[in-house]
Amino acid sequence: MNGKLYWKNKLPFIILQLLCMLALSVFLLAVGNSLDSILFILFAWILICAASMISAYQKRKKEMAGLLRLQEQLTEQYLLPELMKIPKRADDQVFYFLLKAAEKSMLEHIEAIRRERADYKEYIEQWIHEIKTPITAMKLLCENNQYPFTRELLAELEKTARYTEQALYYARSEHTEKDYSIHEICLLDIVHNAIADNKYLLTKHNVAVNVSKVDRMIFSDEKWVRFILNQLIVNAVKYRTEQLQISIYAEQQNDKVCLYVEDNGIGISANDLPRVFEKGFTGENGRMRQNATGIGLYLCKRLCGKLGIGLDLVSGTDGTTVILSFPVNHYIHQVQG
Amino acid sequence: MNANKIMIMEDDVVIQTELKKLLTGSGYDVRVLSDFANPISDMKAYKPHLIILDIKLPHRSGFSICSEIRSFSNVPIIFVTSCDTDMDELNSIMLGGDAFITKPYHTAILLAKIASLLKRVYEVRQHTDYEWQGAVLHLESSSIEYNGSKAELTKNELKILHFLFNHAGKICSRNDLIDYLWDNQLYVDDNALSVNINRIRDKLASIGLNDFIKTKHRQGYTL
Repeated sequence: MNGKLYWKNKLPFIILQLLCMLALSVFLLAVGNSLDSILFILFAWILICAASMISAYQKRKKEMAGLLRLQEQLTEQYLLPELMKIPKRADDQVFYFLLKAAEKSMLEHIEAIRRERADYKEYIEQWIHEIKTPITAMKLLCENNQYPFTRELLAELEKTARYTEQALYYARSEHTEKDYSIHEICLLDIVHNAIADNKYLLTKHNVAVNVSKVDRMIFSDEKWVRFILNQLIVNAVKYRTEQLQISIYAEQQNDKVCLYVEDNGIGISANDLPRVFEKGFTGENGRMRQNATGIGLYLCKRLCGKLGIGLDLVSGTDGTTVILSFPVNHYIHQVQG
Repeated sequence: MNANKIMIMEDDVVIQTELKKLLTGSGYDVRVLSDFANPISDMKAYKPHLIILDIKLPHRSGFSICSEIRSFSNVPIIFVTSCDTDMDELNSIMLGGDAFITKPYHTAILLAKIASLLKRVYEVRQHTDYEWQGAVLHLESSSIEYNGSKAELTKNELKILHFLFNHAGKICSRNDLIDYLWDNQLYVDDNALSVNINRIRDKLASIGLNDFIKTKHRQGYTL
């Protein structure tokens, strides 16, 4: 509470008091009281008045400070009226009810938006499931009927499927807890599946893929890890050099299994490196190419965060290595063993 | 040999026909369910060795069809669906589905899954030896034999020859070969394929097979 302003607000009252004192003194003097007794009365008046005013100020200040503290502690600040006591003063009560009304309209608003978002998310997920049927149909058509352009078309279909997946995982990344289940899964299978997802992209660009020492078991969600690997493979192809090579290998380090996805692409400049996981960040490499969205790595980081997978990126002029580290859960082995 | 019978329960017409084409091409006898009014009686009449089942079907869901089939038959069921939530996967396993494949699937993976399920359930004997013009390819021992002399083959070489023997007499393009190798998780690029072909030719020459793999200019290879 601004003290200066408080006293400024009290100024008319103080002036009124002074005027009253003046009037009383004149009256008392006129009816023949001694100056001493008048001074005594004035002194007592000022003392009582000042004491009561100062104590009122202190009380008010404390009250307001309490409210401010309350508000500071709240994460959802619009919920303040729920925690406030109903003030006793009539004018304070008006403000209290105003706050209440504001809170109510805010809550309604939030609820409406939340419902809308949930509906939209549900629609998006449903749409993605619907779109997968025609994609499958097109894929089968292509694979059954070979024409000169079929391979190109299959590569495009692969891309379509990938963007669709990306949208699905973007929609889901908010509420991962609803849609993942941790199993013991074979890293090798996931790597093979991820490569199969990008077969036409990789063969089109004549990429040599080298998979070695990946035959390990990890605890994670297969779909999510596959999605993350897909993104990494696509990035490697997007920012490739003349003859792209991708090496995928794994290593056990203390209490984690590290999966390395290494390419000999153009690399990421040191300036851009700290920001590659930011949403919408495309950097130098992205500006040179048209189709960078700044979503891929952001989404990977986010999903990894939710799944408890470490995601690190090392890059130089001779390529980029992305390291996924899966924690090894000894507890599960102890329970099972 | 009687072909294995596969029944497709899928409501998308294009997928129906194309899947039928694909599976027929792979040597299966295929029946497509076009009317979903009585899937169970249709299935009983056809007696398939394996069922490919979509989850979202008209009239009733694939889950309920699956559980009803399970009440009288142990025929392998592969769920093929575009719903890929964990609940769907869990449901399909709980109700007795043998595999769960999400759309859009890779045909190579679907075919491999079908083959392995059939092999497991019916103990189908698969081809292990291929013969062409006196040369015999042994898949199990990974070698090729001609006139009594044998040559060992690496994984890549075996798969390349396997594909060529399978399409003996026809021209196989380099792209098809690379596709096939990738489907078998051997990720070779164009150069590596040339290197492998040359090595195979050397090995073949060493057992007396000269000019066994012929190069068709701009088209590919043929036996």
